Amino acid sequence: MELQALLKANLNRHKGGLAGIFILIFIVSLSLATVLTVWARSGSYLTSELRRVGFGDLTVWVSGADDWDGLAEEIAGVDAVERVAYQRLLYTNYSIHGQESDSEGQLIFYVPQENRYRFFTDDLFGYRAQPDKVAPGEVYVSPSLASMFGAQIGDDITFPIARAGKALTLTIAGWYEDPIMGSSMIGMKGFLIGEAGWNKALTLLENAGIDALAREGAMLHIFADPPGQSIGELSAQINEQTSLPGYTEFVHSQTAIAGFMLVLQNAFSGFLLAFASVLLLAAMVVLGHHMQSGIEQDFVNMGILKTVGLTSQKLRTVQLTTYLTVILPGMLLGLIAAIPATGLVNAMTLTTTGILIPSSLPFGLCLSAFAIVYLLLISFLLYKLRKISRATPMRAIRGETEGRPVSIKRLPSIHGKGLSASLALRQLLTSKRRYAGACLVAVLLVFFASLVGRMDAWLGADGKGMMDAFNPADHDLGVQSFGELTREEFEQTIQSYSGIRDTYALAMPSVTVNGVDFTANVIDQPERFHLIESRTSAADSEIVVTEFVAADFGVGVGDSLIVGAGLGSDVYTISGIYSCANDMGQNIGMSRDAYLKIASDSPNLWCWHYFLSDPSQKPAIIETLETVYGGDIHIHENTWPGFFCLVSAMRMLMIFLYGMGVLFFLVVTAITGSKIFSAGAKILAWFLVFYKHKVVKKKGVWLGFFPG
Amino acid sequence: MKQTLIEGRNICKTFTGNGSHTTILQSINVDIYEDDFTIIMGASGAGKSTLLYALSGMDQITGGKVTYRGTEMTGLSENQMAGLRATVFGFVFQQTQLVSNLTLFENVAMAGYVGKIGTPKEIRKKAQNLLRQMGVESARDRLPSHVSGGEAQRAAIARAMINRPGLIFADEPTGALNRSHTEEVLDLLSNLNENGQSILMVTHDLRAAIRGNRLLYLEDGKLLDELSLPSYDAAFAKDREAKVSGWLSSLEW
Repeated sequence: MELQALLKANLNRHKGGLAGIFILIFIVSLSLATVLTVWARSGSYLTSELRRVGFGDLTVWVSGADDWDGLAEEIAGVDAVERVAYQRLLYTNYSIHGQESDSEGQLIFYVPQENRYRFFTDDLFGYRAQPDKVAPGEVYVSPSLASMFGAQIGDDITFPIARAGKALTLTIAGWYEDPIMGSSMIGMKGFLIGEAGWNKALTLLENAGIDALAREGAMLHIFADPPGQSIGELSAQINEQTSLPGYTEFVHSQTAIAGFMLVLQNAFSGFLLAFASVLLLAAMVVLGHHMQSGIEQDFVNMGILKTVGLTSQKLRTVQLTTYLTVILPGMLLGLIAAIPATGLVNAMTLTTTGILIPSSLPFGLCLSAFAIVYLLLISFLLYKLRKISRATPMRAIRGETEGRPVSIKRLPSIHGKGLSASLALRQLLTSKRRYAGACLVAVLLVFFASLVGRMDAWLGADGKGMMDAFNPADHDLGVQSFGELTREEFEQTIQSYSGIRDTYALAMPSVTVNGVDFTANVIDQPERFHLIESRTSAADSEIVVTEFVAADFGVGVGDSLIVGAGLGSDVYTISGIYSCANDMGQNIGMSRDAYLKIASDSPNLWCWHYFLSDPSQKPAIIETLETVYGGDIHIHENTWPGFFCLVSAMRMLMIFLYGMGVLFFLVVTAITGSKIFSAGAKILAWFLVFYKHKVVKKKGVWLGFFPG
Repeated sequence: MKQTLIEGRNICKTFTGNGSHTTILQSINVDIYEDDFTIIMGASGAGKSTLLYALSGMDQITGGKVTYRGTEMTGLSENQMAGLRATVFGFVFQQTQLVSNLTLFENVAMAGYVGKIGTPKEIRKKAQNLLRQMGVESARDRLPSHVSGGEAQRAAIARAMINRPGLIFADEPTGALNRSHTEEVLDLLSNLNENGQSILMVTHDLRAAIRGNRLLYLEDGKLLDELSLPSYDAAFAKDREAKVSGWLSSLEW
């Protein structure tokens, strides 16, 4: 009964501060639960979907074989292979709204009996039943085409099968979930077509002869035996023992595909996790400051209650219950709010990610995280409340729970002249810990603001920061000559618009790594590589690899790989791990000298990358170069079709973070400010005896009791 | 023969701070008896309040021992001391020391809940009766900050009374009150003592001191003298005041 009455009184006394704590905990738990849900559900959902659609441990895109069953059987005969399944497809370019794709599409023959794919409702808010067939003239596409090309249901997509305008034009009938290449991060795209469309395309292709633009092929899903073995070794064995290398277009492991499919979710989770972590840290400090002040304010009352026989245990229970009364509902509400918040995030990003991540909370994970936060808070509270156990009732009533009293001898004296300043100094020195707490809160707020600001600055106006993270090295513009055109010639054109601040050369030839086909990023200035770990490949016996390659081969820094090219092969030591999204991370990086040990040089091999004095001239430069040099030149920017969808999704996250940040600022300022004012209220009351209200207010600002 | 409630032996109390030690109580031996209205008097700084809190276990002593009905309090655990304070002792302070965020009624009832003197309903009824008895029923739902000092002190006495304590400790209960409120509070305490309530009160006010039947005089942390009087009777207050005044004068007070 007494606990109930005390709890009620405590809630009433601290209602303002407790409301603030409730909001803080709500924001923290909402952010935390959302990031945990997005992170955990996206990974597990994508993995399960990849398994469900039959993606192998290794999937090889092939073309040119006459007998798919025979090739599959041949590969299945390798010891390290358990089984092989395949899906037939046609490689072809495509265009939507007159915009041509920069990567090939894959027309996939839809077999409803396989139950392989899931289909979205037209409004993309959920799933619908899978169609019995794809009607003639229709196609189902990934929703990422909506963000990459502005595609809508009813729009036409043209697939050029052969020259002389022999093309297949299909109308978008709906959206399907493609866990293999649905993300706008991935250039290749799958298109589900029906029997009529498939047959028509095949007929066009068969009659095209040398004019064919499309190629018939398949996705070979290879399952390892035993599962979990090194993908690099598996790939090398298959390449050595079968005829597969003769048909391979590209190879991707499940890990690599999942990594690229989840780029946005991972970026989202990373940003949100950093935000939530700082938020949590700042909230803990603010809570600590509030609790400390609150408990100190309550010490006298606790002392009095001790005189009537209340035990320290019960007093602690009352204080704990007071805070838990807002902490637990705040956590619970944040947890509940995370369900629609996650749903919103997933729906908002569907046209970028191509998959609809389930919004159901990972309760075990969330509860574990919340339990840690909860235990931290409880420990902190108990730590603060330990004083009440030690103090006798009279010590508590007299306020002797602050530890060592301040020695007045060491304090500067109060002067009539400059009274406000000397009073402020005295207040500061006698309440050091309280002001230090407020100072720490202020530092964290500034850090918090700068963190969000830095995230925003990193992303940049055109998402440059994000783009740079996916390229082997930074640049504004890349130009590669295919013909007789010399570097000096196109540089003159560039310089007629903008000065060139800096330049470097990068080539992307094909190489073999331990017998597996890969792309190499060969650079004349290896220090430009975006390193994640260790150092760049400065020597001609060194390479850098992506995390995907390192995972596939089961290697790390200091290990060696055999890299081969036109003139032979050599052993290279891995000097570092770098980031590069080319070929979905299936690439290595090396210096020009390292490459020329195993391959011959050619002027057209190199793509020159430029940093412009005036990057705003980029569109004009590109237009002029394309007009003047046409097919003799390849120009690329620091971007790809789906990139801006990714950036706009990240921008929305930034706006959300700013909104949360402002709310957080307001709550924290109100809580901390009110606590400092409460602590100094008695002193201000004394000033009121001597001064007019205006003067007291002015001195209050000096003393930090009122916001200036 | 009066029963001894509290027995204090060689009580010492030293305050330490900023590297200096100040001895407040020096080996005091004192007994407090049942049914007495014991007064501790002395000049400012003599150690009156310190002795009161030492005898009540509200503050730790530096040396010596204090027993309540033969049980040594200095050896009791925090919970046992809390039990003692909840059921056996009542406290009234100079600054009323009511819990600031509880109403007068809640302050009184709270002590009853902690002492577990009956069902919540019975406790509420008793708290209500006590507040009526103390003349503060009309202010029962107000916070301490919204009532006069006299009302707050009477509520504090009601709180001290609710568990029918064996002994009420009062530390200058009229020190912050005006003359009329002082008389009200002293009359209340005298009535309680008349009805068998043992009281130990610290005061430096002559009008308060004459309410006691046993007066102890403290000087520089030592018990200097004591005076026994018959029970208080308002009709003989003037004579009593003269006697106590004379005694204090002899002690150069």
